[in-house]
Amino acid sequence: MDRYSRRLARNKMWLSLSIGAAAFGLFWLAAILSTLVWNGLAGLSLSVFTEMTPPPGSAGGLLNPIVGSLILTTLAVVIGTPIGILAGTYMAEYGRYDRITYIIRFINDILLSAPSIIIGLFIYEILVVPMGHFSGFAGSIALGVIVIPVVVRTTEDMLLLVPNQMREAAAAIGAPQWFVISRVTYRAARTGIITGVLLAIARISGETAPLLFTALNNQFWSVNLNAPMPSLPVVIFQFALSPYEDWQRLAWTGALIITAAVLTLSILARALASKGVEQ
Amino acid sequence: MAALTLGAVEYVGRSKALKRFIATDSFFRYLTRAAAILVLGVLLGVFVSLAIGAWPAFHAFGLDFLTSQSWNPVTEKFGALAPIYGTIVTSLIAMLIAVPVGVGIAIFLTELCPYLLRRPIAIAIELLAGIPSIIYGIWGLFVLAPFLQQHVQPGLIEFFSGVPGFNQFFAGPPYGIGIFTAGLILAIMVIPFISSIARDVFETTPAVLKESAYAVGCTTWEVIWSVVLPYTRAGVLGGVMLGLGRALGETMAVTFVIGNAHKIAASILAPGTTISATIANEFTEAVGDLYTSSLIALGFILFVITFIVLAIARYMLSRLDRRAGVA
Amino acid sequence: MMNAIAVRAQAAEAPNTREKMVIHDLSFYYGDNKALKNIDLTMHERQVSALIGPSGCGKSTLLRILNRIYGLYPNQRAEGEVWLDGENILRPEQDLNLLRAKVGMVFQKPTPFPMSIYENIAFGIRLYEKLSRAEMDERVERALSKAALWDEAKDRLNASALGLSGGQQQRLCIARTIAVKPEVILLDEPTSALDPISTAKVEDLIDELKQDFTITIVTHNMQQAARVADRTAFLYLGSLVEEGPTSQMFSNPKDRRTLDYITGRFG
Repeated sequence: MDRYSRRLARNKMWLSLSIGAAAFGLFWLAAILSTLVWNGLAGLSLSVFTEMTPPPGSAGGLLNPIVGSLILTTLAVVIGTPIGILAGTYMAEYGRYDRITYIIRFINDILLSAPSIIIGLFIYEILVVPMGHFSGFAGSIALGVIVIPVVVRTTEDMLLLVPNQMREAAAAIGAPQWFVISRVTYRAARTGIITGVLLAIARISGETAPLLFTALNNQFWSVNLNAPMPSLPVVIFQFALSPYEDWQRLAWTGALIITAAVLTLSILARALASKGVEQ
Repeated sequence: MAALTLGAVEYVGRSKALKRFIATDSFFRYLTRAAAILVLGVLLGVFVSLAIGAWPAFHAFGLDFLTSQSWNPVTEKFGALAPIYGTIVTSLIAMLIAVPVGVGIAIFLTELCPYLLRRPIAIAIELLAGIPSIIYGIWGLFVLAPFLQQHVQPGLIEFFSGVPGFNQFFAGPPYGIGIFTAGLILAIMVIPFISSIARDVFETTPAVLKESAYAVGCTTWEVIWSVVLPYTRAGVLGGVMLGLGRALGETMAVTFVIGNAHKIAASILAPGTTISATIANEFTEAVGDLYTSSLIALGFILFVITFIVLAIARYMLSRLDRRAGVA
Repeated sequence: MMNAIAVRAQAAEAPNTREKMVIHDLSFYYGDNKALKNIDLTMHERQVSALIGPSGCGKSTLLRILNRIYGLYPNQRAEGEVWLDGENILRPEQDLNLLRAKVGMVFQKPTPFPMSIYENIAFGIRLYEKLSRAEMDERVERALSKAALWDEAKDRLNASALGLSGGQQQRLCIARTIAVKPEVILLDEPTSALDPISTAKVEDLIDELKQDFTITIVTHNMQQAARVADRTAFLYLGSLVEEGPTSQMFSNPKDRRTLDYITGRFG
């Protein structure tokens, strides 16, 4: 009996610890989100969306970094998504049994988790240095490079989920491979691929490091891709580390905006994914 | 009923359509292949461009670059030891906290959590992963650091001051920011990664295996410890390595709270620096080719370290896939 | 019922039925494993030929050679000859898309494409022919009628095909196959996933379709072979054991193994 009650006690202890772990994790989530909302809402007003970044000591908004972020993100998605989908298509369809697909999958997974600051350095070396100046273009390419592995992975995974029987049924009617892929397989995997793109967007929306030495930052309104472009994450970085209170307040508000955008995209992606599963 | 079989005219039309198909099929095959090769090209490009950029620094300092602590832009003497030390120590602290907690959460979600709560809590934990790292950074700087400075660190310093051998690790004025704080923030960031991979991996344990253990009379914990964990060992390790890779390369969260001191101190409560924090803070202000090259050299070192860690992670996770029959 | 079998018996014996597909010395390999061993078999025009045998005997493998669908996968190869209207379809220069337009296949699991019912049918037609809306409508209706699905589908042509029942989906797949005007139809256990009523409908369909098409059906259900097939071939462990008119195979088989299988001594 003594041994048994020891086992029971140990069981209870470890299981309580695991409950504690969950509480620990949830606690931090609550702590972070609550301070974020508290501080971010404090500075939130219409002027945040209508006025540009101010010099220290005066009031202003985040209009130019918001617009800049939208431009950079859109361009990155436009560049990275087609490449990602095409590459994923090769890996799941044309090249499914190729040796090289195995290597590409491996490399892609490493790129997926690679430090984003390294990507920033890479683009700095191959774009900013030859061009001679920082530019929004370089920034969007850097973000695009981060988009590609995400889209490749989800596209390949989703395409691999389409049952082979569907491909066989289409081939059995005499459809050539690209027809099977574009008209049948893509359609079957459509929801999953879109989910992947949404996740990629959520990922790059919050990225700061790759922009630090590619798009740099811009105090003023700029939509010129050939010049430094403001972005919300970089502005937050600059403002938060500064000693000025109004800048710090704007940093919190900006942080709230980014988090809201990212979480909304993630929730959207998740809702889309579960709807796709039902079909 | 009209003809269900092909006529001659239709057959010729088909042959023509066919030639079009063959051409388009080849085109798409090459296009998708090119895109796939591009992925390889990116990795190669990163490696090569970093190596080229780092070369002047490696050439000037040789292996001393890896062992020297000095970081002096004026005399142009740079050494990577402090950033490397900071990177490794903060990641270590992060893993020491995140692995037990992450695995604990996974255990909770797969074995203990009432079914209704399972999805909401799992989603909540994943939300932690979705929060951009810069948010962690400013939260760490404005909320966590002051809190630690006022309430936790003085206590730690006092507690360990009497413990011989350990007191140097927890010494020094309570800055609030520093290596320990950075490690803590990294831990919070990495927890959801480890927990979600561990959870996925725990769920691959065949029910029959667990049921046989229960049938013999094992308690829940004994089933987890003797059946689930050994079965999923490779996967959990893979997840841990993935988390480690993330922690090593994390920039924004760390930059805010690390203190940016190019020094190695014994105390983990002291400020320090990591590779990514150094690059983020100093790159745009770096004057002089050797300075810039040293920073790129730091990036190269980080790239190599994370590549190795991520490759190991990938290898371990693929071993689990193969075992489950996915290949 | 007895009349139908008698009629079929007559048809199977008729001397002037043309040979549609002639399989000669056919072997098939999965990697190094020889799954089919030197098969010789003939399919006659506008007749139903059944392939029966225990699990793993190679009947599906054989069927999948006839439209070279195995070519989608690596490490699978066929040796020998399969003649379709005077051409060896196993030769490397054979265009696969053309072959599959001529030799259609319906699979065990109904696989409607993720599109509307109309689009499912139009999909194959559009590959090769440019038709006006009216012409396409007519072709779709014809295919669905021939597959005995028109009445059930005509009011929801634009609804997703995934909303149909299993039996309806299978008939849709049959309609899809005949819409591209093949000459041969291969059926790979087409009713094993269906309930008995849908099965009966599909079997009636096969009876009608054979007026226009040459049909080869793989089935693990011997009674089904007895119901629908003119000729039956029995395969065992990759070899063709016996082949002949269905009535004769089931009443008076020549080989001991055939008798054992039919009487249920193994299988």
